[in-house]
Amino acid sequence: MMKKNKILIAGEGGQGIQVIAKILAKVAYKSGYDVTYMPNFGVEQRGGVSLAFTQISNDKISFPKFQKADIVVLLAIRAKKRVERYFDEKTILLFDNSLIKEEEISSLKNTKIAIPATFFAKEKLVPKVFNIIILGALMGEVGGLKEKETIKILSEFFKDKYLKEPQLKHFNHKALEMGMGIIKSIKKEDKWRQKILKK
Amino acid sequence: MSEPKYPKCVKIESKPSDFCPGCGHSIVLKNLGFVIDELGISDKSVFVTDIGCSLLAWDYYNINSVQSHHGRGVSVSTGIKLAQPKKVVISYMGDGGGYAIGLHHLLHAAKRNEPLTVILVNNTVFAMTGGQAAPTTIIGEDTESTPEGQFVEGPIFGPNLIKQVADKKAFIARGSVDNIPQLKKYLKLAIENQINNNAFSFLEILSYCPTNWKTNTQKTFDFLDTLKRIYETGIVDDEKK
Amino acid sequence: MQDPIVMAEAERIPFVAYIGQRGGPSTGTVIYSQQELNLATRGGNGEAMRLVLGPSNLQELYDFMILAFDWAFRYRLPVIVLGDGYLSKTMGSVILKKAGKVKAAKSILDFDHPVNIRNTYSQEEELSQIILRELKDFAAIGSKVEKSEVIKCDDAEVVVFAWGTVGSAAREAVEKLRKEGLKVGLFRPITLKPFGAQKAKIAVKNAKKILIAESSFGQFGRLVLESLFGVKDLSVERLYKPAQGIISEEIEEKLREMIK
Repeated sequence: MMKKNKILIAGEGGQGIQVIAKILAKVAYKSGYDVTYMPNFGVEQRGGVSLAFTQISNDKISFPKFQKADIVVLLAIRAKKRVERYFDEKTILLFDNSLIKEEEISSLKNTKIAIPATFFAKEKLVPKVFNIIILGALMGEVGGLKEKETIKILSEFFKDKYLKEPQLKHFNHKALEMGMGIIKSIKKEDKWRQKILKK
Repeated sequence: MSEPKYPKCVKIESKPSDFCPGCGHSIVLKNLGFVIDELGISDKSVFVTDIGCSLLAWDYYNINSVQSHHGRGVSVSTGIKLAQPKKVVISYMGDGGGYAIGLHHLLHAAKRNEPLTVILVNNTVFAMTGGQAAPTTIIGEDTESTPEGQFVEGPIFGPNLIKQVADKKAFIARGSVDNIPQLKKYLKLAIENQINNNAFSFLEILSYCPTNWKTNTQKTFDFLDTLKRIYETGIVDDEKK
Repeated sequence: MQDPIVMAEAERIPFVAYIGQRGGPSTGTVIYSQQELNLATRGGNGEAMRLVLGPSNLQELYDFMILAFDWAFRYRLPVIVLGDGYLSKTMGSVILKKAGKVKAAKSILDFDHPVNIRNTYSQEEELSQIILRELKDFAAIGSKVEKSEVIKCDDAEVVVFAWGTVGSAAREAVEKLRKEGLKVGLFRPITLKPFGAQKAKIAVKNAKKILIAESSFGQFGRLVLESLFGVKDLSVERLYKPAQGIISEEIEEKLREMIK
């Protein structure tokens, strides 16, 4: 069983925000849940703030937007202003601490999960798969999703790119594993998970 | 050899038609009727009119016909041809509809090589609304909206313009209502190109508008001669592109 | 857009349009709005003889597209499915159906007995007669196709009026408040043209207040108030957010205030 998960992913156009959300929605659907995914962006193809609203639930979802998010994924500091209104005290913030400094988000008194996705992607894989590390982490945090389906969906989604760049398949799978692994280790030890209580 | 008074495909009950005395449309429509008879296509043709005087031809023939909006005749024709690819679709319009408001439809239909026959009657004015200047109005021409003569814009050479974007198979020509053998030849080629080559055809026809030109018979003929010196008749071939 | 719609009305040509409403005026946003309701239900010259469907979720969006083609060919009228940026861009699950065969009432072009289809008339009397005849036909078709979703309005003290995506948010709010025992109801027109005025009047029979929620500034309100003309002792609250989405919590909050 899964409670309704309301997930807002935010960053800049070109970071692959919509890719994360689209794949997450497909995986959740294939894992037996009802889902909605809705992009929200301006007219610019690159550089503007890009938001993706995703919901995963056991029950039928009829409305694609929500007031407060259970999880906010923040991947660019300039998107912070746009997502602040979707926080309540229970919202968990998942962010890339190799893109966003912790002091930049100190005003948010929420549970924060720091994933150095950009750093790991650059150091250990290829830079472009940073969003798949985030996807893995997000899937780990949501829980109850089928990993096997994800591999299938990734292969379908990146079909054309895999033909041109066969090694991308390997990096994507590693990135997914890495993201899920980070969340697992955090959940186990709970020391990366900074819980900052409200005063 | 004597020709019958009216082509067989003409709808006799709708005659006399609503065109002004001396109007070139009647000449074009009558000859188009003869060509349709000759090709034996009256039972598989669709005739689409635009807005402007061309719309008065909506019940000219005993052939399926549709009136459309100003400049939209080519688009309506495109839709009909898509739905009925085996039928012959003839799009009939004036210079106002074709070269002003509907130019983008016309150019893109040519560019896509839509298998249509587009017939554009050019009398250099917006005739139905009272003879205002059109894109085809020549330098110095007096019109309702340019009473001192039109000295702002040069004329538009439609067939040459369309030639720029049209497919190699397209048939593009300009005829005139005072040269019937040539007119009939072009009408026939324009329709045959649709039937045999599944290609786009465009025929501009220089025509009389004595009502709005405010000309008597002789001056009407004279003005058409003037127009023919500016708007050269003939088939637009690749060399002149 | 009004150009082909009115031509289809004049010549009774089957015509289907899906409109994903964007924020306006002008280029506005590419995100969302309900601001094209006026254009869809009233736009163009003439008497706006077209059918307009307002889907509230993805399933309806899919179902109504099939319905739109069926109606367009059955009745030879323009049918508009009036969606919005949210619906157009949302990915979610939909149950697909095996579509039935759509059949035209009668063939429009007839190659055995040619027809001359017109939209131009020379005399005002002639056109007026034709419009009156067409309107009669349109009214008969309208009474056959008109649809609304009415939820718990029988004993409702407050009835919320909403359509399309906002209708979904309103439905969630009403269902939640009903569980708490608050007497609220929903009237959601599914066909915005024709608008179910009789059903709307019945829906507010026991209501003291209505709430009109829309992502435009009174375009929907005008249709609602027109349909309720003659109903007495009804106070009206408005939740108008032009070019912005309305979520169920906002409607819920407003309804709580109203029912106090």
